[in-house]
Amino acid sequence: MAELSTRPLRLTINGQAVGPVEIPDDLMMIDFLHEYQGLTGSRLGCGQGICRACVVILDHDDGTSEEMRICITGAHFFHGKRIRTIEGHAEHGDDGDVVALNPIQRKFVDHFAFQCSYCAPGFVNAATVLVERLEREPVARADLEATIDQALGHHICRCTGYVRYYQAAKAAIEELGLVKEG
Amino acid sequence: MKYPRLSRRAFLKGSATGIGITVAPLGSRAFAALFEPRVTAARDQWASPSGAHFRIDAISKVSGAKVFARDIRARDMPGWPQQQSHAMLLKATRADRTYQGFDLSLLDDGLQPDRIVTSADLEQDGVGFPESHGPDPLLPEGKTPLFLGHPVAILIWHDFARYRAAKNALQFRDDLIRYGAKTGEVERPPYGSFRYVRVGGETPYDPDVFSSLKDSDLFPTIKNRRPVWPDDPSLNGDIGEQGVYHARRMQDTLDDPPDNWEVFQARYTTPYIEPAALEPDNGNGWLDPDTGTLNFVVATQCPFESAHETARMLEGSRFDVRHLNVHPGYTVGYGSKDHNIFVYYAVIAALYGDGHPVRLANDRFEQFQSGIKRHPFDMDYRLAVDRDSLKFQIFRAHMDVNGGGRANYSASVAAVGATAAQSVYYLPRSDLATTAYPSRAVEAGSMRGYGTLQTMAATEMMVDELAERLDVDPIELRRANVLEAGMKNTQGAIPGGAIRVGEMLDKAERHPLWKERTERRDKRQAEDPDHLYGTGFAVSHKDFGTGAEAPMASVEIDAEGRIRLRQIAIDMGTGTATSQAMNVVDFLGRPADDIKTGETDWPELTLETSGNPYTMQQAEQDRLSRNPRWTPRLASPSSASNSAYYSSHATREAARLVFRHGLWPAALSIWGQGIYGGQANPYVMRLEDARWVEGHLTASGMTPIPLAKLAAKAHEMGLVTAASVHAFNRWSWASAEFPLNDEAPRLPLDAVAVKYGDDDYHLLDRRDVRYPDVQLNNAHVTYYSPVATLVDLRVNKGSGEVEILEHYSWVECGKPIVPELVKGQLEGGIAMGIGHALLEEMPLYEDGPGNGTWNVNRYQLPLARHCAVWKQGSEILPPLSDTDPAKGMGEVVMIPIVGAIVNALAHATGQRFRDLPVTPERIKEALHG
Repeated sequence: MAELSTRPLRLTINGQAVGPVEIPDDLMMIDFLHEYQGLTGSRLGCGQGICRACVVILDHDDGTSEEMRICITGAHFFHGKRIRTIEGHAEHGDDGDVVALNPIQRKFVDHFAFQCSYCAPGFVNAATVLVERLEREPVARADLEATIDQALGHHICRCTGYVRYYQAAKAAIEELGLVKEG
Repeated sequence: MKYPRLSRRAFLKGSATGIGITVAPLGSRAFAALFEPRVTAARDQWASPSGAHFRIDAISKVSGAKVFARDIRARDMPGWPQQQSHAMLLKATRADRTYQGFDLSLLDDGLQPDRIVTSADLEQDGVGFPESHGPDPLLPEGKTPLFLGHPVAILIWHDFARYRAAKNALQFRDDLIRYGAKTGEVERPPYGSFRYVRVGGETPYDPDVFSSLKDSDLFPTIKNRRPVWPDDPSLNGDIGEQGVYHARRMQDTLDDPPDNWEVFQARYTTPYIEPAALEPDNGNGWLDPDTGTLNFVVATQCPFESAHETARMLEGSRFDVRHLNVHPGYTVGYGSKDHNIFVYYAVIAALYGDGHPVRLANDRFEQFQSGIKRHPFDMDYRLAVDRDSLKFQIFRAHMDVNGGGRANYSASVAAVGATAAQSVYYLPRSDLATTAYPSRAVEAGSMRGYGTLQTMAATEMMVDELAERLDVDPIELRRANVLEAGMKNTQGAIPGGAIRVGEMLDKAERHPLWKERTERRDKRQAEDPDHLYGTGFAVSHKDFGTGAEAPMASVEIDAEGRIRLRQIAIDMGTGTATSQAMNVVDFLGRPADDIKTGETDWPELTLETSGNPYTMQQAEQDRLSRNPRWTPRLASPSSASNSAYYSSHATREAARLVFRHGLWPAALSIWGQGIYGGQANPYVMRLEDARWVEGHLTASGMTPIPLAKLAAKAHEMGLVTAASVHAFNRWSWASAEFPLNDEAPRLPLDAVAVKYGDDDYHLLDRRDVRYPDVQLNNAHVTYYSPVATLVDLRVNKGSGEVEILEHYSWVECGKPIVPELVKGQLEGGIAMGIGHALLEEMPLYEDGPGNGTWNVNRYQLPLARHCAVWKQGSEILPPLSDTDPAKGMGEVVMIPIVGAIVNALAHATGQRFRDLPVTPERIKEALHG
């Protein structure tokens, strides 16, 4: 039998050092999170990098971050890197219950933004990346809706028609003071 | 309406097979020990008596908690082995040759499956399969596949790495399956064929001359796999022949109409649609060899059916399964996880796990290849209108429905589609014929709209075009023909309650999008010569429920005032858990503290069933109903927009009993304490004066009492502290008298159990049960919710691309339980309708999803840019009073948008499109030839 070729992976997930974990060379990151880490919040939608239900946040050393589609990105790409998944945004109490949500999560909840929620992790991560970018460089009022369109526009949701996700993101950005007036 | 194909006899506790069944939803409090954090939030977080602040499951869902069955692995399940096995289905992708086995030699030895399951295994081991999903769940060698993608084997690996590597090697290979002699497609008779003929009386309110409800539905003879109707029907023939006689007379009149009639005829077709529920089908099961317990985590809209059919599968098998633990997750399906065969493949995988937990979970390619689809319809419509009065005269709609390779609600979808084709109009005479055919396509089944999307959208396109032909305003033509309260539908039944379509027409007519449509179009086109602009309108009303609804709920209040609700309904993202928890507010002053959805373990309601509620004769029903434990149906799936009204009925009736026979007498006792009847004595105490104010009960000026104090008193006095109820609805509720505290109230329920104080449940012996007459099956629908939609769009002249610029909708759904959830359903339904109208289609056969290569890279699901996210509005019509029931609206919301888009395209381009979706290619062809 031909052995599956493997090598060790080390990375940081939600602030926690993980690894080394011996995994196949060609394992996709989504499978690593699901099957090796028990983190199933990043959802497999299409497996083609189109629907973006799977996206996580990749944090760069310069303080910027970006969405990564982990159904089409090998796990070893993330060796030595830092990512945030949907499980990492909220604060949990000692009993494991959520005690605080990030601003995007909070607005999504308050706006009844999702229904089945399968796509919600992708939207949370995309909108969180957007908010963090706008914290560095706020958006002009006139460009706000277009900016949200651009940030979330490739994500697929089959339940909601997107309306409440968009309205919630807009409300969060406004309330966080990330809109330049005038 | 759905027709279960099995006449079954089962019990709510356990099953007829002798295999004990328990169902513990993943999100339930009872299961909380197994899954942390819990799915549902604490009551004081998510809701107050005045409303829901957010969904009860929102915190879990937004933070990536394990809420779906798909999220669960063996290590998440207490007591399961840690090692997770994985399985995949091997499928034949041709349906014109015999299947002659498979060849996995391309896999290295190390990647060969640890276990392969074929039809021979099932036969040898005595594993049955639900009859309604047959035949040949795994195709035996020598037979021709019934459809593209017919499974032939289940392959199991006991570790993920090898499974993944092997699956990567096997997927998309069409050389794994060996085929033999060419046979052509397997030919079979139709799944169902029906006809609904109505000849109304002198006025819409007079008795019908002939109709389904008054007389009968019509059924053809099947010859050469086609429906055949009598050649020379007579009024003196049997009831069926009489119906066809009337249909023939209508046809004759349409062929040779009076001079002042306009007869419109057109053919409409609809696409083959992938539901694309983002959670693909999945199940994960472990057969514990020590205890004989099959533990099963599953994504389903019908946990009750899934559990009981699984038990039946195993009856008589070599597997020593003594108990079945089913754990349904929160899920999503739009109908596609109702009556879904996938569940049973996952069960088989678990059986053959050799002691390992086995997970069978589709990826998106596999979901396209095997998931249930929306039926394509091919409709031939004829509508006659009197040019002077603008009144419709005769509607004739004959339609063919492609059900694909397995019978799955296809007959029912065809029937529901036909009986919905009238849309919102009164039709004095109608002839609706429909046939569902099998084909080699991937099976179609229950999907949002359930045939009505297909037929009503076509009707709205037809009426709009007819208005143009008559040179009248499309809304005016609609108003002239709208079905009003008391008038009959095409089956001869009178819809329930007020009909408020007229209000919607008035509002739409006054809306700037409509009023200014032509002047706006002309102005824009002058400014923007690259685009054509148009505005369209459509309105529809759709049934909710199936004609055999069987909701169950229990409401319990403990001595501290904590409210616990159990519901058989399952949350598919629509917010059922949230809205059901809110339903008790009217009676108990605040939402439920704990809710279990997907509950099917109801030991207190010892009910049994037999017969088919849709087809039984009256005499049979009368005989069976003498058994005080009998009900026409044990349980309903979560489908057919049934939670808002039917599930709520059970929740509210249970809560009402706890209030009426528990909290209210407890309150009277407290207010009556002291000499001469205490503070209550100077006043008159009436139940109807009871009011909850900030969680306290008052009435007629009495001191408000907090719920906890009332609950404690009810427990102390041995009053009713819990009620568990079952109801049955066949377009009307069954009722019976139940002995309660020296009373025998008639309740719209057919089973009630109550707790007195701290006691266990007592099943009340019902008396004088009255089930709705079986003839009401022929009503086919009496509950409707209407929606109207205006759409403004533009078309790129060069590319044919359509851009929806703005839309506005009105929905009437009685008294909404949680308005935000209603709006969410509306917004999402509109998006799905946009996909149906403009974007989504697949080939049915060899190039279609059955070949295993389809995914969203070539199946365009609506994105935000397709939906006018920032430029849409809606209005929920205020209820007539706060006594309006909540009405189901999860499906109707997606229908008017389809007709409105196509009508807007006609306004923009001058072209009428009748084949959906209206793709850029079709538009370019219409514009440029």
